[in-house]
Amino acid sequence: MLDVINVAHGEFFAVGGYLIFAAVVLMHWPGAAGVALAGLGAFALGLAVYPLLIAPLKRRLGRRPAGSLYLVLTLGLSTFMQSSLLALAGGDYRRVPPLAPGILELSFTGVSYQRLLVVGMASVLLTGLFVFLAWHRQGLAVRAVAQNPDAAQAMGINLDRIFSLTLALGVALAGIGGALMAPLFNVYPAVGFPLTIKAFAITILGGMGNLLGALFASLLVGMAESLVVMVIPSQWQNGVAFVVMIAVLLLRPQGLLGRASSR
Amino acid sequence: MSGRWLRAVGFGTVAIVILLPVLLPHPFVLSIATQAMIWALLAASWDLLSGYAGQISFGHAGFFALGAYIAAASSKHLGLSPWLGLVLGAVGASLVGLLAGFPALRLRGHYLALVTLALAELIRLIAQNWLAVTGGPFGIYDFGTFPGLPTGPIARGRAFYLLVLAIAAVGVGGMLYVCARRDAGRAFRAIREDEVLAESLGINTTAYKLAAFALSSGVAGLAGTLYAYYIQLVSPTVASAATTSLVIGMAVFGGLGTIWGPALGALLLYALNEGLRFVGVVYNLVAVGLVIMFFVIFLPRGLAGLRLTRARRTARKDATAAS
Repeated sequence: MLDVINVAHGEFFAVGGYLIFAAVVLMHWPGAAGVALAGLGAFALGLAVYPLLIAPLKRRLGRRPAGSLYLVLTLGLSTFMQSSLLALAGGDYRRVPPLAPGILELSFTGVSYQRLLVVGMASVLLTGLFVFLAWHRQGLAVRAVAQNPDAAQAMGINLDRIFSLTLALGVALAGIGGALMAPLFNVYPAVGFPLTIKAFAITILGGMGNLLGALFASLLVGMAESLVVMVIPSQWQNGVAFVVMIAVLLLRPQGLLGRASSR
Repeated sequence: MSGRWLRAVGFGTVAIVILLPVLLPHPFVLSIATQAMIWALLAASWDLLSGYAGQISFGHAGFFALGAYIAAASSKHLGLSPWLGLVLGAVGASLVGLLAGFPALRLRGHYLALVTLALAELIRLIAQNWLAVTGGPFGIYDFGTFPGLPTGPIARGRAFYLLVLAIAAVGVGGMLYVCARRDAGRAFRAIREDEVLAESLGINTTAYKLAAFALSSGVAGLAGTLYAYYIQLVSPTVASAATTSLVIGMAVFGGLGTIWGPALGALLLYALNEGLRFVGVVYNLVAVGLVIMFFVIFLPRGLAGLRLTRARRTARKDATAAS
Protein backbone atom coordinates (compact mmCIF):
# COMPACT_ATOMS: atom_id res chain seq x y z
CA MET A 1 0.00 0.00 0.00
CA LEU A 2 2.83 2.36 0.75
CA ASP A 3 4.70 1.67 -2.44
CA VAL A 4 7.53 0.46 -0.23
CA ILE A 5 8.16 -3.23 -0.63
CA ASN A 6 9.41 -4.76 2.56
CA VAL A 7 11.82 -7.56 1.68
CA ALA A 8 12.25 -8.22 5.40
CA HIS A 9 8.59 -9.18 5.83
CA GLY A 10 9.37 -12.88 6.13
CA GLU A 11 11.87 -12.18 8.91
CA PHE A 12 9.03 -10.87 11.05
CA PHE A 13 7.29 -14.16 10.40
CA ALA A 14 10.41 -15.86 11.80
CA VAL A 15 10.43 -13.45 14.77
CA GLY A 16 6.84 -14.47 15.50
CA GLY A 17 7.85 -18.11 15.40
CA TYR A 18 10.74 -17.55 17.81
CA LEU A 19 8.62 -15.47 20.18
CA ILE A 20 6.00 -18.19 20.49
CA PHE A 21 8.79 -20.72 20.98
CA ALA A 22 10.21 -18.60 23.79
CA ALA A 23 6.80 -18.10 25.37
CA VAL A 24 5.35 -21.59 25.10
CA VAL A 25 8.38 -23.86 25.27
CA LEU A 26 10.83 -21.90 27.40
CA MET A 27 8.49 -20.02 29.73
CA HIS A 28 5.51 -22.40 29.66
CA TRP A 29 2.98 -19.71 28.91
CA PRO A 30 -0.39 -20.69 27.46
CA GLY A 31 -0.54 -20.75 23.67
CA ALA A 32 -2.84 -17.74 23.30
CA ALA A 33 -0.41 -15.60 25.28
CA GLY A 34 2.38 -16.76 22.99
CA VAL A 35 0.44 -15.72 19.90
CA ALA A 36 -0.31 -12.37 21.49
CA LEU A 37 3.35 -11.91 22.39
CA ALA A 38 4.37 -12.73 18.80
CA GLY A 39 1.90 -10.19 17.42
CA LEU A 40 2.85 -7.47 19.88
CA GLY A 41 6.58 -8.12 19.54
CA ALA A 42 6.46 -7.92 15.76
CA PHE A 43 4.26 -4.80 16.04
CA ALA A 44 6.77 -3.12 18.35
CA LEU A 45 9.70 -3.97 16.07
CA GLY A 46 7.70 -2.84 13.05
CA LEU A 47 6.98 0.51 14.69
CA ALA A 48 10.72 1.12 14.87
CA VAL A 49 11.36 0.35 11.18
CA TYR A 50 9.79 3.44 9.70
CA PRO A 51 11.27 6.17 11.94
CA LEU A 52 14.70 4.52 12.12
CA LEU A 53 15.21 3.40 8.53
CA ILE A 54 12.70 4.62 5.99
CA ALA A 55 12.08 8.15 7.24
CA PRO A 56 15.78 9.15 7.29
CA LEU A 57 16.21 7.90 3.73
CA LYS A 58 13.08 9.74 2.68
CA ARG A 59 14.31 12.92 4.33
CA ARG A 60 17.68 12.70 2.59
CA LEU A 61 16.11 12.00 -0.79
CA GLY A 62 13.64 14.86 -0.55
CA ARG A 63 11.74 15.02 -3.82
CA ARG A 64 14.21 12.94 -5.79
CA PRO A 65 12.91 9.54 -6.93
CA ALA A 66 13.86 6.69 -4.63
CA GLY A 67 14.22 4.15 -7.40
CA SER A 68 14.88 0.88 -5.68
CA LEU A 69 16.72 2.24 -2.69
CA TYR A 70 13.93 1.15 -0.33
CA LEU A 71 14.17 -2.32 -1.72
CA VAL A 72 17.91 -2.40 -1.09
CA LEU A 73 17.33 -0.92 2.36
CA THR A 74 14.87 -3.59 3.42
CA LEU A 75 17.11 -6.22 1.88
CA GLY A 76 19.76 -5.00 4.32
CA LEU A 77 17.22 -5.21 7.13
CA SER A 78 16.36 -8.75 6.07
CA THR A 79 20.02 -9.82 6.14
CA PHE A 80 20.50 -8.09 9.47
CA MET A 81 17.46 -9.67 11.09
CA GLN A 82 18.08 -13.12 9.70
CA SER A 83 21.68 -13.25 10.86
CA SER A 84 20.80 -11.65 14.21
CA LEU A 85 18.26 -14.41 14.77
CA LEU A 86 20.96 -16.88 13.84
CA ALA A 87 23.34 -15.28 16.33
CA LEU A 88 20.75 -15.12 19.11
CA ALA A 89 18.91 -18.37 18.68
CA GLY A 90 21.31 -20.55 16.73
CA GLY A 91 20.61 -22.40 13.53
CA ASP A 92 18.80 -25.37 15.10
CA TYR A 93 15.28 -26.21 14.05
CA ARG A 94 12.96 -25.36 16.94
CA ARG A 95 9.80 -27.33 17.48
CA VAL A 96 6.70 -25.74 18.93
CA PRO A 97 3.91 -28.05 20.18
CA PRO A 98 0.55 -27.53 18.49
CA LEU A 99 -1.73 -25.07 20.24
CA ALA A 100 -4.68 -27.23 19.36
CA PRO A 101 -3.57 -30.87 19.39
CA GLY A 102 -5.50 -33.63 17.72
CA ILE A 103 -6.85 -34.39 14.32
CA LEU A 104 -10.32 -33.92 12.95
CA GLU A 105 -11.29 -37.16 11.22
CA LEU A 106 -13.23 -36.68 8.03
CA SER A 107 -14.40 -39.56 5.92
CA PHE A 108 -11.76 -38.98 3.21
CA THR A 109 -8.89 -37.32 5.07
CA GLY A 110 -7.76 -36.02 8.43
CA VAL A 111 -7.16 -32.38 9.24
CA SER A 112 -5.20 -31.37 12.33
CA TYR A 113 -6.95 -28.91 14.60
CA GLN A 114 -3.88 -26.68 14.36
CA ARG A 115 -4.58 -26.16 10.66
CA LEU A 116 -8.23 -25.40 11.38
CA LEU A 117 -7.07 -22.94 14.02
CA VAL A 118 -4.82 -21.24 11.45
CA VAL A 119 -7.69 -20.96 8.99
CA GLY A 120 -10.03 -19.65 11.69
CA MET A 121 -7.57 -17.10 13.05
CA ALA A 122 -6.64 -15.95 9.56
CA SER A 123 -10.31 -15.37 8.72
CA VAL A 124 -10.87 -13.43 11.93
CA LEU A 125 -7.76 -11.30 11.43
CA LEU A 126 -8.53 -10.59 7.79
CA THR A 127 -12.09 -9.63 8.63
CA GLY A 128 -10.72 -7.39 11.36
CA LEU A 129 -8.35 -5.79 8.89
CA PHE A 130 -11.15 -5.15 6.42
CA VAL A 131 -13.31 -3.63 9.12
CA PHE A 132 -10.42 -1.50 10.33
CA LEU A 133 -9.65 -0.19 6.86
CA ALA A 134 -13.28 0.35 5.98
CA TRP A 135 -14.59 2.09 9.09
CA HIS A 136 -11.96 2.95 11.66
CA ARG A 137 -10.64 6.52 11.62
CA GLN A 138 -7.02 5.41 11.31
CA GLY A 139 -7.98 2.82 8.71
CA LEU A 140 -9.60 5.51 6.60
CA ALA A 141 -6.43 7.55 7.01
CA VAL A 142 -4.34 4.62 5.75
CA ARG A 143 -6.48 4.35 2.66
CA ALA A 144 -6.38 8.08 2.09
CA VAL A 145 -2.59 8.10 2.29
CA ALA A 146 -2.38 5.17 -0.11
CA GLN A 147 -4.55 7.01 -2.62
CA ASN A 148 -2.94 10.41 -2.48
CA PRO A 149 -0.36 11.24 0.17
CA ASP A 150 -0.27 14.95 -0.60
CA ALA A 151 -4.01 15.44 -0.37
CA ALA A 152 -4.11 13.31 2.78
CA GLN A 153 -1.47 15.48 4.38
CA ALA A 154 -3.43 18.59 3.41
CA MET A 155 -6.41 17.11 5.28
CA GLY A 156 -4.35 17.04 8.44
CA ILE A 157 -3.27 13.40 8.42
CA ASN A 158 0.12 12.80 9.97
CA LEU A 159 1.87 10.91 7.18
CA ASP A 160 4.74 9.61 9.28
CA ARG A 161 2.38 8.20 11.85
CA ILE A 162 0.25 6.45 9.26
CA PHE A 163 3.29 4.99 7.51
CA SER A 164 4.65 3.64 10.81
CA LEU A 165 1.27 2.27 11.76
CA THR A 166 0.71 0.54 8.42
CA LEU A 167 4.13 -1.05 8.43
CA ALA A 168 3.76 -2.18 12.04
CA LEU A 169 0.30 -3.64 11.39
CA GLY A 170 1.57 -5.52 8.38
CA VAL A 171 4.50 -7.08 10.19
CA ALA A 172 2.35 -7.78 13.27
CA LEU A 173 0.14 -9.90 11.05
CA ALA A 174 3.26 -11.63 9.76
CA GLY A 175 4.38 -12.23 13.36
CA ILE A 176 1.03 -13.76 14.30
CA GLY A 177 1.19 -15.86 11.16
CA GLY A 178 4.63 -17.06 12.19
CA ALA A 179 3.37 -17.95 15.65
CA LEU A 180 0.37 -19.86 14.33
CA MET A 181 2.35 -21.70 11.67
CA ALA A 182 5.26 -22.51 14.00
CA PRO A 183 3.83 -25.89 15.06
CA LEU A 184 3.35 -26.85 11.40
CA PHE A 185 6.75 -25.68 10.18
CA ASN A 186 9.85 -25.82 12.27
CA VAL A 187 11.25 -22.46 13.30
CA TYR A 188 14.66 -21.49 11.99
CA PRO A 189 16.19 -18.11 11.04
CA ALA A 190 15.61 -18.36 7.29
CA VAL A 191 12.08 -19.76 7.58
CA GLY A 192 10.46 -16.57 6.35
CA PHE A 193 12.38 -15.79 3.21
CA PRO A 194 10.68 -18.16 0.74
CA LEU A 195 7.39 -16.98 2.20
CA THR A 196 8.33 -13.38 1.45
CA ILE A 197 8.78 -14.25 -2.19
CA LYS A 198 5.57 -16.24 -2.21
CA ALA A 199 3.75 -13.34 -0.59
CA PHE A 200 5.08 -11.02 -3.31
CA ALA A 201 3.88 -13.42 -5.96
CA ILE A 202 0.42 -13.49 -4.40
CA THR A 203 0.28 -9.73 -3.93
CA ILE A 204 1.23 -9.13 -7.52
CA LEU A 205 -1.21 -11.75 -8.74
CA GLY A 206 -4.00 -10.11 -6.79
CA GLY A 207 -3.00 -6.58 -7.69
CA MET A 208 -0.90 -4.29 -5.50
CA GLY A 209 -2.77 -2.67 -2.63
CA ASN A 210 -5.82 -4.81 -3.22
CA LEU A 211 -6.62 -6.93 -0.17
CA LEU A 212 -9.55 -8.79 -1.71
CA GLY A 213 -7.39 -9.59 -4.70
CA ALA A 214 -4.66 -10.88 -2.40
CA LEU A 215 -7.12 -13.18 -0.65
CA PHE A 216 -8.41 -14.51 -3.95
CA ALA A 217 -4.89 -14.93 -5.32
CA SER A 218 -3.61 -16.76 -2.24
CA LEU A 219 -6.43 -19.29 -2.55
CA LEU A 220 -5.59 -19.67 -6.22
CA VAL A 221 -1.85 -20.15 -5.65
CA GLY A 222 -2.46 -22.50 -2.72
CA MET A 223 -4.74 -24.69 -4.78
CA ALA A 224 -2.47 -24.57 -7.81
CA GLU A 225 0.45 -25.67 -5.66
CA SER A 226 -1.51 -28.57 -4.20
CA LEU A 227 -2.98 -29.73 -7.47
CA VAL A 228 0.18 -29.41 -9.52
CA VAL A 229 1.75 -32.20 -7.44
CA MET A 230 -0.44 -34.63 -9.37
CA VAL A 231 1.28 -33.60 -12.59
CA ILE A 232 4.87 -32.85 -11.62
CA PRO A 233 7.15 -34.16 -8.84
CA SER A 234 6.55 -32.49 -5.51
CA GLN A 235 10.03 -31.01 -5.12
CA TRP A 236 9.22 -28.58 -7.93
CA GLN A 237 6.14 -27.40 -6.06
CA ASN A 238 7.79 -24.25 -4.75
CA GLY A 239 8.53 -23.12 -8.27
CA VAL A 240 4.84 -22.71 -9.07
CA ALA A 241 4.47 -19.38 -7.30
CA PHE A 242 7.53 -17.96 -9.04
CA VAL A 243 6.44 -19.03 -12.50
CA VAL A 244 2.97 -17.63 -11.81
CA MET A 245 4.49 -14.35 -10.66
CA ILE A 246 6.70 -13.95 -13.71
CA ALA A 247 3.84 -14.82 -16.03
CA VAL A 248 1.44 -12.40 -14.37
CA LEU A 249 3.96 -9.58 -14.42
CA LEU A 250 4.49 -10.10 -18.10
CA LEU A 251 0.89 -10.57 -19.15
CA ARG A 252 -1.17 -8.62 -16.67
CA PRO A 253 1.01 -6.39 -14.48
CA GLN A 254 -1.98 -4.83 -12.72
CA GLY A 255 -2.97 -8.21 -11.28
CA LEU A 256 -6.03 -10.36 -11.77
CA LEU A 257 -8.47 -8.07 -10.02
CA GLY A 258 -6.54 -4.85 -10.35
CA ARG A 259 -7.65 -2.07 -12.61
CA ALA A 260 -5.32 -0.94 -15.34
CA SER A 261 -3.46 2.11 -14.11
CA SER A 262 -1.62 4.66 -16.15
CA ARG A 263 1.82 3.46 -15.25
CA MET B 1 46.41 17.64 1.48
CA SER B 2 45.59 18.34 -2.12
CA GLY B 3 43.35 16.18 -4.26
CA ARG B 4 46.28 14.86 -6.23
CA TRP B 5 47.99 13.68 -3.08
CA LEU B 6 44.84 11.99 -1.86
CA ARG B 7 44.43 10.24 -5.16
CA ALA B 8 48.03 9.07 -5.11
CA VAL B 9 47.61 7.70 -1.59
CA GLY B 10 44.35 6.01 -2.62
CA PHE B 11 45.80 4.36 -5.69
CA GLY B 12 48.90 3.38 -3.73
CA THR B 13 46.79 1.64 -1.09
CA VAL B 14 44.79 -0.21 -3.72
CA ALA B 15 47.96 -1.27 -5.51
CA ILE B 16 49.48 -2.57 -2.27
CA VAL B 17 46.29 -4.46 -1.42
CA ILE B 18 46.21 -6.03 -4.87
CA LEU B 19 49.89 -6.94 -4.87
CA LEU B 20 50.00 -8.04 -1.23
CA PRO B 21 49.06 -11.66 -1.98
CA VAL B 22 51.97 -11.85 -4.43
CA LEU B 23 54.46 -10.27 -2.06
CA LEU B 24 53.18 -12.17 0.97
CA PRO B 25 52.11 -15.54 -0.42
CA HIS B 26 50.53 -17.04 2.66
CA PRO B 27 47.85 -19.64 1.76
CA PHE B 28 45.20 -17.88 3.86
CA VAL B 29 45.94 -14.48 2.32
CA LEU B 30 45.96 -15.97 -1.17
CA SER B 31 42.66 -17.76 -0.65
CA ILE B 32 40.90 -14.67 0.66
CA ALA B 33 42.40 -12.44 -2.01
CA THR B 34 41.36 -14.78 -4.82
CA GLN B 35 37.79 -15.03 -3.58
CA ALA B 36 37.62 -11.29 -2.92
CA MET B 37 38.67 -10.71 -6.53
CA ILE B 38 35.88 -12.99 -7.79
CA TRP B 39 33.38 -11.07 -5.67
CA ALA B 40 34.76 -7.80 -7.00
CA LEU B 41 34.00 -8.93 -10.55
CA LEU B 42 30.48 -9.99 -9.54
CA ALA B 43 29.77 -6.76 -7.67
CA ALA B 44 30.99 -4.69 -10.62
CA SER B 45 28.74 -6.66 -12.98
CA TRP B 46 25.75 -6.00 -10.72
CA ASP B 47 26.61 -2.33 -10.66
CA LEU B 48 26.75 -2.09 -14.44
CA LEU B 49 23.16 -3.27 -14.71
CA SER B 50 21.63 -1.87 -11.55
CA GLY B 51 23.74 1.08 -10.52
CA TYR B 52 24.78 2.36 -13.92
CA ALA B 53 21.87 1.45 -16.17
CA GLY B 54 19.31 1.56 -13.35
CA GLN B 55 17.73 -1.85 -13.95
CA ILE B 56 17.60 -3.30 -10.45
CA SER B 57 18.42 -6.99 -10.41
CA PHE B 58 17.85 -9.13 -7.33
CA GLY B 59 18.89 -12.17 -9.28
CA HIS B 60 22.62 -11.90 -9.72
CA ALA B 61 23.20 -14.90 -7.50
CA GLY B 62 21.26 -16.79 -10.16
CA PHE B 63 23.54 -15.69 -13.03
CA PHE B 64 26.61 -16.33 -10.88
CA ALA B 65 25.39 -19.83 -10.00
CA LEU B 66 24.43 -20.50 -13.60
CA GLY B 67 27.96 -19.74 -14.77
CA ALA B 68 29.39 -21.87 -11.98
CA TYR B 69 27.10 -24.81 -12.75
CA ILE B 70 27.66 -24.67 -16.50
CA ALA B 71 31.44 -24.64 -15.96
CA ALA B 72 31.36 -27.44 -13.40
CA ALA B 73 28.94 -29.62 -15.36
CA SER B 74 30.75 -29.19 -18.67
CA SER B 75 34.04 -30.22 -17.09
CA LYS B 76 32.58 -33.03 -15.01
CA HIS B 77 30.14 -34.63 -17.45
CA LEU B 78 31.57 -33.69 -20.83
CA GLY B 79 35.22 -33.53 -19.85
CA LEU B 80 35.66 -30.15 -21.51
CA SER B 81 38.69 -28.00 -20.82
CA PRO B 82 38.15 -25.39 -18.08
CA TRP B 83 39.12 -22.70 -20.58
CA LEU B 84 36.14 -23.73 -22.66
CA GLY B 85 34.03 -23.97 -19.47
CA LEU B 86 34.96 -20.38 -18.72
CA VAL B 87 33.56 -19.24 -22.06
CA LEU B 88 30.52 -21.52 -21.95
CA GLY B 89 29.55 -20.37 -18.45
CA ALA B 90 29.80 -16.72 -19.38
CA VAL B 91 27.89 -17.15 -22.65
CA GLY B 92 25.20 -19.31 -21.03
CA ALA B 93 24.62 -16.84 -18.22
CA SER B 94 24.59 -14.03 -20.74
CA LEU B 95 21.87 -15.73 -22.81
CA VAL B 96 19.68 -16.30 -19.76
CA GLY B 97 20.35 -12.71 -18.73
CA LEU B 98 19.18 -11.61 -22.18
CA LEU B 99 15.97 -13.57 -21.63
CA ALA B 100 15.57 -11.89 -18.24
CA GLY B 101 15.99 -8.59 -20.02
CA PHE B 102 12.71 -8.99 -21.90
CA PRO B 103 10.55 -8.51 -18.81
CA ALA B 104 12.68 -5.43 -18.14
CA LEU B 105 11.31 -3.88 -21.30
CA ARG B 106 7.90 -3.72 -19.68
CA LEU B 107 8.66 -3.50 -15.98
CA ARG B 108 10.50 -1.10 -13.75
CA GLY B 109 11.76 -0.78 -10.24
CA HIS B 110 10.19 -3.14 -7.72
CA TYR B 111 8.57 -5.33 -10.31
CA LEU B 112 11.77 -5.98 -12.19
CA ALA B 113 13.60 -6.72 -8.95
CA LEU B 114 10.95 -9.27 -8.05
CA VAL B 115 11.08 -10.99 -11.42
CA THR B 116 14.85 -11.33 -11.23
CA LEU B 117 14.57 -12.57 -7.64
CA ALA B 118 12.08 -15.19 -8.76
CA LEU B 119 14.40 -16.15 -11.62
CA ALA B 120 17.29 -16.73 -9.21
CA GLU B 121 15.04 -18.84 -6.99
CA LEU B 122 14.02 -20.89 -10.01
CA ILE B 123 17.67 -21.46 -10.88
CA ARG B 124 18.31 -22.54 -7.29
CA LEU B 125 15.33 -24.89 -7.45
CA ILE B 126 16.59 -26.43 -10.68
CA ALA B 127 20.07 -26.83 -9.17
CA GLN B 128 18.56 -28.57 -6.18
CA ASN B 129 16.30 -30.93 -8.08
CA TRP B 130 17.91 -31.82 -11.40
CA LEU B 131 19.95 -34.59 -9.82
CA ALA B 132 21.40 -36.06 -13.00
CA VAL B 133 23.23 -32.90 -13.99
CA THR B 134 23.58 -30.77 -10.87
CA GLY B 135 24.04 -33.45 -8.22
CA GLY B 136 21.12 -32.05 -6.21
CA PRO B 137 21.75 -30.62 -2.75
CA PHE B 138 25.30 -32.03 -2.68
CA GLY B 139 26.26 -30.12 -5.78
CA ILE B 140 29.04 -30.89 -8.24
CA TYR B 141 32.55 -31.49 -7.02
CA ASP B 142 35.75 -33.10 -8.23
CA PHE B 143 35.73 -31.68 -11.73
CA GLY B 144 39.31 -30.50 -12.05
CA THR B 145 40.68 -27.06 -12.68
CA PHE B 146 42.90 -25.28 -15.17
CA PRO B 147 45.64 -27.50 -16.54
CA GLY B 148 49.23 -26.34 -16.35
CA LEU B 149 49.11 -24.65 -12.96
CA PRO B 150 52.19 -25.24 -10.80
CA THR B 151 51.88 -28.08 -8.33
CA GLY B 152 53.32 -26.59 -5.13
CA PRO B 153 50.49 -25.32 -2.92
CA ILE B 154 51.77 -21.76 -2.63
CA ALA B 155 52.95 -21.44 -6.21
CA ARG B 156 49.61 -22.85 -7.32
CA GLY B 157 47.63 -20.44 -5.17
CA ARG B 158 49.69 -17.53 -6.45
CA ALA B 159 49.27 -18.54 -10.08
CA PHE B 160 45.54 -18.92 -9.60
CA TYR B 161 45.34 -15.54 -7.91
CA LEU B 162 47.17 -13.87 -10.78
CA LEU B 163 44.87 -15.60 -13.28
CA VAL B 164 41.75 -14.44 -11.44
CA LEU B 165 43.25 -10.98 -11.04
CA ALA B 166 43.90 -10.77 -14.78
CA ILE B 167 40.42 -11.95 -15.73
CA ALA B 168 38.77 -9.66 -13.17
CA ALA B 169 40.83 -6.73 -14.40
CA VAL B 170 39.82 -7.44 -18.00
CA GLY B 171 36.16 -7.82 -16.95
CA VAL B 172 36.00 -4.64 -14.86
CA GLY B 173 38.11 -2.75 -17.38
CA GLY B 174 35.88 -3.92 -20.22
CA MET B 175 32.77 -2.75 -18.43
CA LEU B 176 34.38 0.59 -17.61
CA TYR B 177 35.32 0.92 -21.27
CA VAL B 178 31.76 0.23 -22.42
CA CYS B 179 30.44 2.81 -19.95
CA ALA B 180 33.00 5.38 -21.07
CA ARG B 181 31.99 4.97 -24.70
CA ARG B 182 29.88 7.78 -26.03
CA ASP B 183 26.99 5.66 -27.27
CA ALA B 184 26.54 2.93 -24.67
CA GLY B 185 27.61 4.83 -21.58
CA ARG B 186 25.39 7.77 -22.35
CA ALA B 187 22.48 5.54 -23.25
CA PHE B 188 22.78 3.58 -19.99
CA ARG B 189 22.87 6.76 -17.92
CA ALA B 190 19.98 8.28 -19.84
CA ILE B 191 17.87 5.15 -19.29
CA ARG B 192 18.67 5.25 -15.59
CA GLU B 193 17.74 8.90 -15.19
CA ASP B 194 14.62 9.06 -17.32
CA GLU B 195 13.62 6.33 -19.70
CA VAL B 196 10.88 8.21 -21.50
CA LEU B 197 13.13 11.17 -22.04
CA ALA B 198 15.91 8.89 -23.29
CA GLU B 199 13.56 7.38 -25.82
CA SER B 200 12.35 10.75 -26.99
CA LEU B 201 15.97 11.73 -27.61
CA GLY B 202 16.21 8.91 -30.11
CA ILE B 203 18.05 6.43 -27.91
CA ASN B 204 17.10 2.85 -28.69
CA THR B 205 16.25 1.96 -25.09
CA THR B 206 15.16 -1.57 -25.98
CA ALA B 207 18.51 -2.49 -27.48
CA TYR B 208 20.58 -0.85 -24.75
CA LYS B 209 18.57 -2.38 -21.93
CA LEU B 210 18.98 -5.83 -23.41
CA ALA B 211 22.67 -5.14 -23.98
CA ALA B 212 23.10 -4.13 -20.34
CA PHE B 213 21.39 -7.31 -19.21
CA ALA B 214 23.43 -9.55 -21.49
CA LEU B 215 26.76 -7.93 -20.60
CA SER B 216 26.12 -7.80 -16.87
CA SER B 217 24.84 -11.36 -16.54
CA GLY B 218 27.63 -12.59 -18.77
CA VAL B 219 30.27 -11.07 -16.49
CA ALA B 220 28.41 -12.43 -13.45
CA GLY B 221 28.51 -15.86 -15.09
CA LEU B 222 32.22 -15.45 -15.76
CA ALA B 223 32.74 -14.72 -12.07
CA GLY B 224 30.73 -17.86 -11.34
CA THR B 225 32.98 -20.01 -13.53
CA LEU B 226 36.06 -18.69 -11.72
CA TYR B 227 34.36 -19.48 -8.42
CA ALA B 228 33.62 -23.02 -9.58
CA TYR B 229 37.18 -23.73 -10.72
CA TYR B 230 38.64 -22.19 -7.60
CA ILE B 231 36.40 -23.61 -4.87
CA GLN B 232 35.92 -26.94 -6.67
CA LEU B 233 32.41 -27.29 -5.29
CA VAL B 234 29.20 -25.82 -6.64
CA SER B 235 26.06 -26.31 -4.58
CA PRO B 236 22.57 -24.77 -4.68
CA THR B 237 23.30 -22.34 -1.83
CA VAL B 238 25.43 -20.32 -4.26
CA ALA B 239 22.21 -19.22 -5.94
CA SER B 240 20.52 -18.21 -2.69
CA ALA B 241 19.30 -14.69 -2.07
CA ALA B 242 21.98 -14.29 0.61
CA THR B 243 24.57 -14.18 -2.19
CA THR B 244 22.67 -11.44 -3.99
CA SER B 245 22.27 -9.57 -0.74
CA LEU B 246 26.01 -9.73 -0.10
CA VAL B 247 26.77 -8.49 -3.62
CA ILE B 248 24.35 -5.59 -3.33
CA GLY B 249 25.85 -4.77 0.05
CA MET B 250 29.31 -4.65 -1.53
CA ALA B 251 28.10 -2.43 -4.36
CA VAL B 252 26.31 -0.02 -2.03
CA PHE B 253 29.37 0.04 0.21
CA GLY B 254 31.65 0.86 -2.70
CA GLY B 255 29.41 3.37 -4.44
CA LEU B 256 26.61 2.74 -6.93
CA GLY B 257 27.00 3.59 -10.59
CA THR B 258 30.77 3.80 -10.73
CA ILE B 259 31.67 0.16 -11.61
CA TRP B 260 35.07 0.46 -9.92
CA GLY B 261 33.51 1.51 -6.61
CA PRO B 262 31.62 -1.75 -6.12
CA ALA B 263 34.71 -3.73 -7.12
CA LEU B 264 36.70 -1.89 -4.44
CA GLY B 265 33.82 -2.23 -1.97
CA ALA B 266 33.76 -5.97 -2.60
CA LEU B 267 37.47 -6.31 -1.89
CA LEU B 268 37.20 -4.39 1.39
CA LEU B 269 33.90 -5.87 2.54
CA TYR B 270 35.01 -9.41 1.77
CA ALA B 271 38.21 -8.87 3.73
CA LEU B 272 36.13 -7.43 6.60
CA ASN B 273 33.73 -10.34 6.33
CA GLU B 274 36.53 -12.89 6.54
CA GLY B 275 38.26 -10.93 9.28
CA LEU B 276 35.08 -11.00 11.38
CA ARG B 277 35.03 -14.76 11.04
CA PHE B 278 37.45 -14.80 13.96
CA VAL B 279 34.91 -12.94 16.05
CA GLY B 280 32.10 -15.29 15.17
CA VAL B 281 30.78 -16.84 12.01
CA VAL B 282 27.34 -15.26 12.15
CA TYR B 283 28.36 -11.72 13.04
CA ASN B 284 29.85 -11.08 9.63
CA LEU B 285 26.40 -11.18 8.01
CA VAL B 286 24.97 -9.02 10.78
CA ALA B 287 27.66 -6.52 9.86
CA VAL B 288 26.83 -6.79 6.14
CA GLY B 289 23.18 -6.02 6.90
CA LEU B 290 24.17 -3.01 8.99
CA VAL B 291 26.57 -1.77 6.31
CA ILE B 292 23.85 -1.95 3.64
CA MET B 293 21.35 -0.05 5.77
CA PHE B 294 23.82 2.59 6.92
CA PHE B 295 25.23 3.28 3.48
CA VAL B 296 21.85 3.37 1.74
CA ILE B 297 20.54 5.92 4.21
CA PHE B 298 23.57 8.11 4.75
CA LEU B 299 26.16 7.49 2.04
CA PRO B 300 24.38 6.32 -1.09
CA ARG B 301 27.44 7.06 -3.16
CA GLY B 302 29.54 4.82 -0.96
CA LEU B 303 33.30 4.99 -0.71
CA ALA B 304 33.54 6.33 -4.24
CA GLY B 305 31.32 9.22 -3.16
CA LEU B 306 33.57 10.01 -0.21
CA ARG B 307 36.52 10.43 -2.51
CA LEU B 308 34.49 12.54 -4.91
CA THR B 309 33.17 14.96 -2.34
CA ARG B 310 36.57 15.39 -0.77
CA ALA B 311 38.19 16.00 -4.15
CA ARG B 312 35.44 18.47 -4.97
CA ARG B 313 35.78 20.21 -1.65
CA THR B 314 39.49 20.67 -2.19
CA ALA B 315 38.83 21.84 -5.73
CA ARG B 316 36.50 24.49 -4.36
CA LYS B 317 39.06 25.48 -1.76
CA ASP B 318 41.72 25.77 -4.46
CA ALA B 319 39.37 27.92 -6.52
CA THR B 320 38.67 30.30 -3.64
CA ALA B 321 42.37 30.47 -2.83
CA ALA B 322 43.16 31.38 -6.43
CA SER B 323 40.58 34.17 -6.66
